Amino acid sequence: MNALSSQPVITVSKLTKFYGDFKALDSVSFTVEKGWVYGYLGPNGAGKTTTIRTMLGLLKPNQGEVQITGINPTKDPVQALQSLGYAPELPTLQTFFTGEQLLDFMGKMFGLATQARKEKIKQLLDLVGLKEWGDKKIGKYSKGMVQRLSIALALINDPLVLIMDEPTIGMDPEATAHFRNLFSTLSKQGKTVFISSHLLDEVQRICTHVGMINRGRMVFNGPITQVLEAFTKQWVIEAELKKVTKRMISALKKLDYVEDVKAEGNKLRIELKEKKDLRGEISSEIFKRKGVLLSLNLHKITLEDAYLRALKGGQ
Amino acid sequence: MNALRRVAVIVGYEWRRALAKKWFFALVILAFAIQVLIFVVFNYLFTNPLPDLPPEFQVALEQMKPYMWIVEVLTPQGFFMSLIVIMIAGGSMSEEYEQGTSDILLSKPITKLEYMTGKYLGGLSLLSFVAAMTTILGVILAIAFFSPQESLQFIPHIYLAIVYSNLVFLSLAFMFSEVLRRTTLSYFSAIGVYISSMVITGVLSAVHSFTGEQLYLDVSKGLPDWGASNFPSFVMGKLLNVPNNPFISPTQGDSNLLLAGALIAVYTAIFIVVATIRLVRSDVTKKTA
Repeated sequence: MNALSSQPVITVSKLTKFYGDFKALDSVSFTVEKGWVYGYLGPNGAGKTTTIRTMLGLLKPNQGEVQITGINPTKDPVQALQSLGYAPELPTLQTFFTGEQLLDFMGKMFGLATQARKEKIKQLLDLVGLKEWGDKKIGKYSKGMVQRLSIALALINDPLVLIMDEPTIGMDPEATAHFRNLFSTLSKQGKTVFISSHLLDEVQRICTHVGMINRGRMVFNGPITQVLEAFTKQWVIEAELKKVTKRMISALKKLDYVEDVKAEGNKLRIELKEKKDLRGEISSEIFKRKGVLLSLNLHKITLEDAYLRALKGGQ
Repeated sequence: MNALRRVAVIVGYEWRRALAKKWFFALVILAFAIQVLIFVVFNYLFTNPLPDLPPEFQVALEQMKPYMWIVEVLTPQGFFMSLIVIMIAGGSMSEEYEQGTSDILLSKPITKLEYMTGKYLGGLSLLSFVAAMTTILGVILAIAFFSPQESLQFIPHIYLAIVYSNLVFLSLAFMFSEVLRRTTLSYFSAIGVYISSMVITGVLSAVHSFTGEQLYLDVSKGLPDWGASNFPSFVMGKLLNVPNNPFISPTQGDSNLLLAGALIAVYTAIFIVVATIRLVRSDVTKKTA
């Protein structure tokens, strides 16, 4: 634990992976520290799952190295993976087991004692909402239930590091919210959560840090507050008026702090030169020109905007 | 948890995986049924001797009666045991790749070698269990209907010889399962090798009988099927020493017994080494099914 506090929990350095001639990962580097909820974003085929599978030692990198709690999982999987939980994307679980049996088997893989396994299984089935389904064969589970069980499996060893590949895919909104809260709680308990997801809203809500990958290259890595800052050149004010005139548009365009004004029906999109809340100034200007203002909103950048800009920049 | 315990956990997993398959039970039941059928045929022959049967065969058959337990035990050994081991091992590794469960298993604290050892030993222990069942059934049937039976002290010998001889096709199917990582392809390849080997051995033996050319026989002995099929008979022939009886294969000398034993070891070692190299050197294949 002392070693953990002085070094990152996950270290990925200059990771390069080829599939034949195709470069799936191109010198990818990032670190994840204790207690972070790290969102790993990227479009389909960007290299997210390849990164995760390399982190788990399932793939051998052509260059670079991964360390989980300071240990390389390719060289010493027993030590490196002992304190790690992993839930794959759209998992296929062993259908010949019941949920309880599979959890018990995984508990044995981690060397948990019989009594500890029993208690943990009960607790986890309750946590993921499968208490009534524990003694049923997994073949009878729905996709969402398999996904929940997969998360329970990832938690059987009470891991320090949790790696989740699209964890809430296939879940209903209620379950998604439940697991979102669970990941936040786990992080508050000092666990490190690494989530690969394309659900930007989900990432924005729960992640403390974000990594963005596109075409095998990292295009951003840092705190979520920084990503919004880094990809925000301007803020936008959206105004709805009773009537929009050409004179109004041209007057607003002439203002020092306005970059551009775009009109669509009776709505105006006013792009500001700076990241400042200038709604007061804009509304005064509209009133001065006898405009009737129906609504005025400051549109700050969302993670989705930042993500799209990052991908554009990374191409 | 030490390496042995991790391997033992995978052995237990492999049992669960195999026992969940209906075909596994179907093949075992079929093997039992064949044993019962053989008993019925021989019982008929003993109670209703064929009038046209040459006297030397009649004598050989009578001579065989106290050893019916061996016939019963060895009957499923040929085709059925080979098929059962191919079905056990042919999907052992590949099914995990196809279903993506290899990702889940190998992302746990276990080395690839421990995982593979557990898988292989799981298959071997299943083979040992099925062989034990067919041996026990054969002996019980023989004792019940052809008493008295002789040389029963050799039951452990024949059992071990059966398990050992089946290592060739167990390992072959296991190797295909890991190298090809496609279950159906792995089954077909292993069965293909088994049947081809059997057919070629038969053809070469026939050619040898016609021409008297030793080379054909020597070549046939090098094929995987020869040692695997004949080793248990050679062992029993040596232990029982019932000369000139067509129902118990004569050993044709110690050299054949040793050659068969050595070939099983060599083939098994080669197949395991190839599977190990493939597993250790390559990435874990992503889900394909």
